[in-house]
Amino acid sequence: MSAAVSIEYLRKVYGGFEALAGVSLNVPRGVVFGLLGPNGAGKSTLVKSLLTILRPTACRGELLGKPIGHRATLAKVGYLPEHARFPEYLTGRQVVEFSAGLANVPVAVAKRRAGECLERVGMSAWANKRVGAYSKGMKQRVGLAQALVNDPELLILDEPTDGVDPEGRIEIRKLIESMRAEGKTVFVNSHLLAEVEQVADEVAILAKGKIVASGSITELTRRGHRYELRTEGPVPLALREGFARNGWEVAGDRLVLEAESAATVQPAIDALREAKVVIREVKELRRSLEDLFLEAVKSNGNGGEA
Amino acid sequence: MRVFWTLLVDSLRLLRARALFWITLVISALAAVIYLSIGFTPTGVSMMFGMGKFDNPVLRAGTQAAELFYLGLFSKFIVGLWLSWVAIGLAIISCAPVFPDFMAEGSIGIPLSKPVSRLKLFLYKYIGSLLFVVLQVGLFCAIVFFAVRWRVGTWNPSVFWAVPLVTLVFSYLYSVVVLVAVKTRSVLPAILAGILIWFASWVGQKGEEILYKVAYLDTPGDVISTGENDNVRQWHQRSVWLMACLPKTGETVNLMDRHVVVGGKTGFSNSGFIKILMGMESTPEESVDQAIARHSTLYIIGTSLIFEAVMLGLAAWIFCRRDF
Repeated sequence: MSAAVSIEYLRKVYGGFEALAGVSLNVPRGVVFGLLGPNGAGKSTLVKSLLTILRPTACRGELLGKPIGHRATLAKVGYLPEHARFPEYLTGRQVVEFSAGLANVPVAVAKRRAGECLERVGMSAWANKRVGAYSKGMKQRVGLAQALVNDPELLILDEPTDGVDPEGRIEIRKLIESMRAEGKTVFVNSHLLAEVEQVADEVAILAKGKIVASGSITELTRRGHRYELRTEGPVPLALREGFARNGWEVAGDRLVLEAESAATVQPAIDALREAKVVIREVKELRRSLEDLFLEAVKSNGNGGEA
Repeated sequence: MRVFWTLLVDSLRLLRARALFWITLVISALAAVIYLSIGFTPTGVSMMFGMGKFDNPVLRAGTQAAELFYLGLFSKFIVGLWLSWVAIGLAIISCAPVFPDFMAEGSIGIPLSKPVSRLKLFLYKYIGSLLFVVLQVGLFCAIVFFAVRWRVGTWNPSVFWAVPLVTLVFSYLYSVVVLVAVKTRSVLPAILAGILIWFASWVGQKGEEILYKVAYLDTPGDVISTGENDNVRQWHQRSVWLMACLPKTGETVNLMDRHVVVGGKTGFSNSGFIKILMGMESTPEESVDQAIARHSTLYIIGTSLIFEAVMLGLAAWIFCRRDF
């Protein structure tokens, strides 16, 4: 089966500014995919290019097995834009039914699905109230409901937890997980790394219009895997030179080594024990997504915030 | 069709939510009721459902002059003034924000991410906005339809010609409003552009009329055949060319005169109506009526629709190519 999103080459230039510099990306079906990047990295531009909301300068790739831009395929996609705004004269139910109508969902199905989706996002009680009376979080929930109404194969969420309270964030996370359990693909654009880390199977980091890292979270965080040793008192000077030669960073009572497995650390432990140095702590240091993100962004000269 | 109905229902909901729509509708209904209150007695005219009575030897119940007068009031004052100026003005103000709101950040993303082409979205949204005028004028004409039956004694469906004609005038102007709205995403410049074109069209038409009178009519009713006022005629020809490029708002509304049925005949005599207003017998002066109706329906509507198509084509082109 083809990938949910397969971008071979995507470039977007606004005037003289290159928002996307030939991005290449692959999102398998049935996963939760997180696209991360600092503000202005091009995340929304990428998503909007997939959905024909903007016209890419150059684009080769597929969305659900059809060329990007194939309009009929968009019937299988649900989308929640960043800062979603809905007409205040509509009720929550009408917003969802409007979205269903544009996606060519038959009237009877749309009515049934609207009720189900509003229930799913916890908005049933407010379904017949006008959007003008909703809080920001409620609008976001209705936005999610309208994105689900056509029973999409691919759900694209641009900053889905924007303005949502902590309880709501947990519900959105559960919703994303339930979508994955149903075999759907969820593409999340977010600057909230911790949230993406909790829910995403795969991520890509976008900086200055380029994908600077991509893969599964386990795979990415394994890179640069380190071990830390702490001793009682400073590491003896006689041992330091040897450790440094073998690639250890030594500072006071702390030794750090980048290593794939714990076996690499054993000679250092042996050397310390032989020198009668008391080992206080041995720790495996896994990089968080945040570390990875900051490194990737920094190495690409983008100091923007996440 | 599903998408079309979805956008049409949305337009109806949008109208329902606009206070200006209801204000205009109530004023329209009031004006229609005032019209309904005018009646005829065996000796003259009655006002406000018989509260005021005025003897008039020409306008009496059952006469053709009474029918001409009653339909003249509708065609010249209600359609010609209220519906084609005030109601359209309010419709422009009310509908100008439709496209800027639709294209706002956070709003446009959802419709554009659906399996419907941008051109269809644009056109359906445009058609939906025309509902403002269709509903206003439709309601008005329905009341007038029954008023004519009650006061004149005939069922006269020709009064419903006002619906397409006034809607056409609105659509000419609204195309300009939409073009500027799509280009600037702002409401105020769009309204100003619409009013500017409306004013230009009105000035152009009046100018052409004046030049025509000076160039071809010695006195009202006498058409000079050839040879005189060559210079004025050249200027008149230029004004005709200029007007060919502009929408004919006034002339489109005046087409009502050609389609309304009076005394079993299609066509309404302006000269006859003027004479009635002056308290004279309604003998039409054909040369005056011909001068007023010197442009064909095809020319008036055709050239105006070309103007509208150009405006809409440009607006659609910008809308379809724009990055949101």
